[in-house]
Amino acid sequence: MLALLAAVWLAAGSPAAAQSADDGEAVFSAKCAACHTIGGGTLVGPDLEGVSDRREPEWLSRWIAEPDLMLAEGEPIATDMLAEFNNIPMPNLGLTDVEVASLVAYLDARSGATAVSEPEQVQAVEPIVVGPFEPSGDTGKRLFEGSDRFDNGGPPCLACHSIAGIGALGGGALGPDLTGAYGKFGESGMASILAAPPFQTMSPIFDDRPLTEEEQAHLALFLSQAAVSSRTAASVGQLALLGAAGAVVLLLATQLLWRRRLREVRRPMVARSRARIERSRQAEDERRGTTSETESR
Amino acid sequence: MDIRAQVSMVFHLDKCIGCHTCSVACKNIWTDREGVEYQWWNNVETKPGTGYPTLWENQDEYKGGWEAEDGRLQLKLQSKIGTLGNIFYNRRLPTVNDYYEPWTYDYEHLFNAPEGDDQPTARPISLITGEFMEIESGPNWDDDLGGSPVYASNDPNVGSLTDEERTQLNEIERVMFFYLPRICNHCINPGCVAACPAGAAYKRGEDGIVLVNQDKCRAWRMCISGCPYKKVYYNWSTGKSEKCVLCFPRLESGQAPACFHSCVGRIRYLGVLLYDADRIEEVASSPESELVEAQRGIIQDPFDPEVIAAAKANGVTDGMLQAAKHSPVYKFVKEWKLALPLHPEFRTVPMLYYVPPMLPVLAKMKDGKYDVADAEVEGLKPQLTSLENARAPLAYMANLFSAGNEDIVTEVYRKLIAVRVYKRAEKVGDITQEEAQEALALGNMTAEEAEAIFRLTALPSFEERFVVPPLAREVAIEQIESPYDRKREGGFGSRTAPGRRW
Repeated sequence: MLALLAAVWLAAGSPAAAQSADDGEAVFSAKCAACHTIGGGTLVGPDLEGVSDRREPEWLSRWIAEPDLMLAEGEPIATDMLAEFNNIPMPNLGLTDVEVASLVAYLDARSGATAVSEPEQVQAVEPIVVGPFEPSGDTGKRLFEGSDRFDNGGPPCLACHSIAGIGALGGGALGPDLTGAYGKFGESGMASILAAPPFQTMSPIFDDRPLTEEEQAHLALFLSQAAVSSRTAASVGQLALLGAAGAVVLLLATQLLWRRRLREVRRPMVARSRARIERSRQAEDERRGTTSETESR
Repeated sequence: MDIRAQVSMVFHLDKCIGCHTCSVACKNIWTDREGVEYQWWNNVETKPGTGYPTLWENQDEYKGGWEAEDGRLQLKLQSKIGTLGNIFYNRRLPTVNDYYEPWTYDYEHLFNAPEGDDQPTARPISLITGEFMEIESGPNWDDDLGGSPVYASNDPNVGSLTDEERTQLNEIERVMFFYLPRICNHCINPGCVAACPAGAAYKRGEDGIVLVNQDKCRAWRMCISGCPYKKVYYNWSTGKSEKCVLCFPRLESGQAPACFHSCVGRIRYLGVLLYDADRIEEVASSPESELVEAQRGIIQDPFDPEVIAAAKANGVTDGMLQAAKHSPVYKFVKEWKLALPLHPEFRTVPMLYYVPPMLPVLAKMKDGKYDVADAEVEGLKPQLTSLENARAPLAYMANLFSAGNEDIVTEVYRKLIAVRVYKRAEKVGDITQEEAQEALALGNMTAEEAEAIFRLTALPSFEERFVVPPLAREVAIEQIESPYDRKREGGFGSRTAPGRRW
């Protein structure tokens, strides 16, 4: 009976595992390839060749599922890796348990000799196809700011991200400042992110409204230029100045609007009267002075 | 005809001695709580003077009351759209310095001061900040600095006087002053009610008392600006506006309001007037010189059967109508035309009337005798006072009581003098009957009328001064809701304290 059960499990299990590895490949190219290769060398994150040998399967599953939690807990391997890879944490990709299992299976399958045989195929990040057009940083900037719209209707980057060189007010604060992003992720990493953002917040938005290849090229160029510059202290000062000027304008506007309001009544009245009395007293003194002079003469 | 009843008042200024007992009685009952220390629902002003709050009569500053443009009434403060636009910032609020900063004294120090070379003193302490303070002003600063060139000469009513009249006001031995007690006028056309954006200020239907609903008040404070008499005050502790309630809990139990009851000079009269509410707008928008006459016209004869029928149709109770027939206010205002509204030009149709003060007797030393009237010099009959050599400028009184119309004030003074001369001839006998008759003719009145005025002025009983109508609150409530349902559903203590506290 047990043998039968085991046979059924095996029969059902092995094709499932195979299926799983196939699914894993798809998940890998969509979610992981932005930062990782298998046998293609280190990108943003480590080369995952032989990762199944290096790490326990439980560890690997958990790391793929909830890297943020593990980092927060201060898990020693995770902490060491974070330091090793420029303090760029692996994001939580919001994968389902099935996806995690398929990824682990895929990584398992690609570990060892088979993987080495076709490293070229693993290169998920394809260089951006530059057509007959020249990518332009200015166009990228306009796309970033939303002056030019994305063809597929995605929201402009500015809505959530800030970056150097887009004026004093900067951009949104939901996502990170992208000034140094190009430096962190590199050309291929950035290209992959632009093609299909793997981040939990971005993917639900951009999965349905992907950037066109041309847009990706423009943005990549703009981001690479921004990487060179950085948000200067001057722009922060500019922001403070703008705020102060706005406050002054508001104050002036309210002053103007309510200029005929009632101010104090009694104190000004008393001050006026006292001044008047003082003046008449002085006039009286002067008059007396002149009369006494004439009298003395 | 839309006849309504109004509990209204007459203050006989000739009898006011300026003792402030009314103010203290009111303070002890109503405004001895936190947040209302500076409020005097009843205050007594010294005239000429700037009043409380300072210069309240100057509507160029405060913008209280109404103005009539082409016969259309409009609040001076702002239009309805203006109310909306300025709702978060009322531009026309007096500061606490325009009232005065209330204070107490550091009495403890008198007992606890360490032994020293000097007597300990009790320094004034602000009731707002709790810090030691410098007293700059008080609720009747004019009295404390009577006739000073800083306060008295800034009286807004002095404005239109000639230079001669003005110097006369302040001249030594000829200086003139009198007291002006003020409470809420419970106007027929109240500016505070019209200005309130929350609908919290209202005029009670059955007796015309103007109140502020403490549950509805949202502290926009437009009523304070809208009232030209500055008789609505802001309680900074509860964040609600408060005002004179004419002691309605006392009235409802048949008692006169506290300030009336306690009045030492017995200057105050209270009674019901019937008025025609259909004519309010017409009366309030009359030309300035006709305002007093128009206001007298809106008051209806309580003996007229037509008026009585219309009043009954409006739900005015028999008790109220009976009180209206005995009202001393009706006699002073309508029958004898002696009592005048204070500043009718504010167009709120105030229901508190004043009998102007008798002219102070002008006396001079002559042949070693203190002579009351310089008859030979002026070529006038030796009457106790004659309007022709009056000390108080009639223009000043006209500015106070008849929107500048001197004829009306003259008419009133002729009558007052007639009563005085007539009674002097009768009781003292140093004036001939002939002269008395002449004075009566000048005052356009009969001997009986003079006698009646004398009686109600000098010898009235308590019941004659205060004809408090049965307010019949239970009947009044019936018009809005069923008292039995209210008793069952509302029960005892259904009112809620404001969030910040009472």
